Amino acid sequence: MSDPKRRSLLKAGVAALGAAVLGKQTEDRAEAGHGHHRSGPPGKADHAHPRWGMVIDLDRCTLCSSCTTACRQENNVPSVGPDDDHRGALIEWIGILWQEPEQPGALPTGMPFPCQHCADAPCVKVCPVGATFKSPDGITMQIWDRCIGCRYCMVACPYGRRSFNWEEPEWSGTQVQMLNPDVATRPGGVVEKCTFCHHRIRRLREDAAVEGRELRDEELQRLPACAAACPAEAITFGDLHDPESKVATQARDPRRFQLLDYLGTDPSVIYLKRDRR
Amino acid sequence: MSDHSPDPVDAIDLPRSPTPLPGHHITYLRFLGRGLRLAFTGSWRFYAWMSVLTAIGLVGLNAWGQQLLHGMQVTAMTDHVSWGLYIANFTFGVGLAAGAVMMVIPAYLYDDHDMHDVVIIGEILAVSAIVVCLGFVIVDMGRPDRLWHILPGIGRFHWPVSMLAWDVLVLNGYLLLNLHIVGYLIYMRYLGRRPARRFYLPFVFLSIVWAISIHTVTAFLYQGLGGRPFWNSALLAPRFIVTAFISGPAFVIVLLEVVRRYGGLRFGDGPIVTLSRVMRITVLLNLFMLGSELFTALYAGGAHATSVKYLFFGAHGKHALVPYIWTAVALNVASGVILLSSRSRTSRRWLLAACGCAFVGVYLEKGMGLIIPGFVPSTLHEVVEYTPTLTEWKISAGVWALGLLVLTVALKIGLAVWTGRMRDASTPAPQVAPVDDDAAAEPA
Repeated sequence: MSDPKRRSLLKAGVAALGAAVLGKQTEDRAEAGHGHHRSGPPGKADHAHPRWGMVIDLDRCTLCSSCTTACRQENNVPSVGPDDDHRGALIEWIGILWQEPEQPGALPTGMPFPCQHCADAPCVKVCPVGATFKSPDGITMQIWDRCIGCRYCMVACPYGRRSFNWEEPEWSGTQVQMLNPDVATRPGGVVEKCTFCHHRIRRLREDAAVEGRELRDEELQRLPACAAACPAEAITFGDLHDPESKVATQARDPRRFQLLDYLGTDPSVIYLKRDRR
Repeated sequence: MSDHSPDPVDAIDLPRSPTPLPGHHITYLRFLGRGLRLAFTGSWRFYAWMSVLTAIGLVGLNAWGQQLLHGMQVTAMTDHVSWGLYIANFTFGVGLAAGAVMMVIPAYLYDDHDMHDVVIIGEILAVSAIVVCLGFVIVDMGRPDRLWHILPGIGRFHWPVSMLAWDVLVLNGYLLLNLHIVGYLIYMRYLGRRPARRFYLPFVFLSIVWAISIHTVTAFLYQGLGGRPFWNSALLAPRFIVTAFISGPAFVIVLLEVVRRYGGLRFGDGPIVTLSRVMRITVLLNLFMLGSELFTALYAGGAHATSVKYLFFGAHGKHALVPYIWTAVALNVASGVILLSSRSRTSRRWLLAACGCAFVGVYLEKGMGLIIPGFVPSTLHEVVEYTPTLTEWKISAGVWALGLLVLTVALKIGLAVWTGRMRDASTPAPQVAPVDDDAAAEPA
């Protein structure tokens, strides 16, 4: 029972006999509907057409916020100060989605919350200038220099995972020294968002190409800054199209769920439910 | 009027010019020059009105300058409520532009000759309302310096997938259509020539369909978003059209009364009767649709109901929108009651009161009452309120002042030509003598 489609359907309560047939149909429909970035041959690793994805294991997550800090450092995400945070102008690519504790007095729970990189992304559909698009490997990208700042993508995003630069971001003297040269800073008046650390993927690809080899799953698992920083190894990154990859294996866990899955956006970020209290 | 033609200019039998005219490059420039002079001369009332509008416009321009300098942080918009007062006004403005077609439809589709005499006013209103809409889109942009990115052919236009790209097309198309119709008819009247139907009638009929399209596309901006249950309703587009046919006729009735008083144009009561009949239906239809929406949301409950409850009753101790929506409902009900009573037919004052109620009611309901609850509470159940800042009010007032400036100047020139006060030197004097009031004191 290692087939990914069977597992997910079992979870949905479908009889095991019919699961294989139904699973195949579901997959075909999904592939027909979502363009070439999902079209890697099933059952075989194809690093030319991967679908990058992320599994966040909430059992492992301690809500320490290392991921959010690392992301801010890596991607030159501007800090706008507590006042702006208060008025909802906080720029963040990955944050913690805090949830009310179930019992009074209990510790609050939550989950690390990056862009969900939906297969059918509402933000991509609505952008009037094509400033946001799906890359062939399934990343929802944003071109800062093309964005006109209309914020329609933020209106369309069901997850609120897009941030607008309500003011021109500034870095004082020593902060400039700490900027990451691999990631362009954004000007005021444009929308920015998580890129799954696209620059790291590209660099890894270039290195692998020079060495004349394929990408290895082990070097992808902790590739994005958030995954690399997580002390509990709660965040796993990799190719969802490669059934052997760690991320795809974890994505078949019965605890899996996607946020607001009823909207049909098919996020590439898959959560594993918290079982332990 | 005898030949039942859908041509308002046929109302006056204009003889062909006896002497050959100079080329259009001369007469058109002369027409523009005289129009420009007319735009800057007038009675003390005209100067006072234009001064007030210019002052408001300059206040708005200054506020927009502040917004450009300091970024959008000067607004109260946030990552949670990412559209606010500007887009609320934009939405209402599109409705006003589309509503103006309620003069064009009777005039051209139903051969309402009384409406023919004044239909040019509706077309001028459409142009001015679109100017307001484009103004609100531009002030809402974080990077107005990249405006060219949304121009088809020049930028990387995400058409046909993005509804906003569609909106750019239909709004600018509607602007060009109406500019052409208005400009052509006025220029021909200036020359004293009978306008060639093939140069404007196809565009008039196209503009009727187009008017519906601009508001449908604007509704699709919102109703196509699965993550915003408050907007994700098939009723939104029909309701937009219905409310457009409230705000449009309401504004036009007031405008016609103003034009009758100060514009020197004589016309019967027919147009106002027709428009108030339209409103009598649409006001009630809108209330019916409101009831239908409330029933669906509150009886079934669920995600849609959360925004509705916040809008009408407040949620989590926050109720910034409650005064807006109840004022809107009260005004809409009041306009319905007045329009249904016989007073609205016998008393012009009561009719104007109904128009005022309906206009403000729709403005509140379709503006703040529609846009903001879409964000509150957010899909992740955060309740972040939005109250516009002074800067936003200043900029919004400035954009409306710009629209009224365009409307005033266009009407002044248009009516001067329509009544024969401004005409080409070779054009014979009109058979209808200009009325003697202060607006008619222009050099003819």
